[in-house]
Amino acid sequence: MTDVQTPAMRLAGPVEVRVPADPAMSRVLRLAASGLASLFGFDVEQIEDLKIAVSEVLIALVEHGYGDFVDISFFVESGVFVVSGVTEVDQFDVDHPDLRLCRTVLAGVCADHDIKLVGDTARITATIRQNGR
Amino acid sequence: MSEFTTEWFKVDPDGKGVLKIDGDIDMAAGPVLRKAMLEQEEQGDVVLDLSGVSFIDSSGLRTLLDAARRADERGNTLTLRQAGPEVRRLLEITGTTSKFTMEQPRD
Repeated sequence: MTDVQTPAMRLAGPVEVRVPADPAMSRVLRLAASGLASLFGFDVEQIEDLKIAVSEVLIALVEHGYGDFVDISFFVESGVFVVSGVTEVDQFDVDHPDLRLCRTVLAGVCADHDIKLVGDTARITATIRQNGR
Repeated sequence: MSEFTTEWFKVDPDGKGVLKIDGDIDMAAGPVLRKAMLEQEEQGDVVLDLSGVSFIDSSGLRTLLDAARRADERGNTLTLRQAGPEVRRLLEITGTTSKFTMEQPRD
């Protein structure tokens, strides 16, 4: 018997994109993430949370990073949508007041999130669950 | 996700300046909104008409919080009119609802 995969299964990702470290990219990435989440059956409220999560990831990386580009990855598996972002940094103050607000929002809309400094890169992940938090 | 625009109406019936906002208040829109507010906010109380806003993030919220702080320092008020559920939710998550005067919230 042939192992048939649905389009959604084949498109589980990761979907990876490198974008300029520019605020205008926030809207582009929110739209892309929304489309992917819709394909996987996330509901409107979950997609609204995802849009906020994507925006917060980009805020943290663009406003606090020093790279020309930001690498963003979307991965969906078993009802879990993971947004990951990486950019180069010179100094990265995880306790910066603006970043604290960012973390507060991520904590409010995500099942899980993490912001950390790894070498000379800032790495952020944010997880939205399809079946509630 | 419509284009972000702002438009000042000199006064509403209460004598307040009203800034009508349409679009997402995000990292890209924040500076545009800030500039629009700085143009006329020193005239007195300000109302932000958010009936055309369906998305806001922490960057946009910072812009609103800065405006609320400036209004408070001048002894004026900053009112959020017709804030939708997306805006109200972010205010609740961040515990900042009390920083603003809310008017005519919409579903």
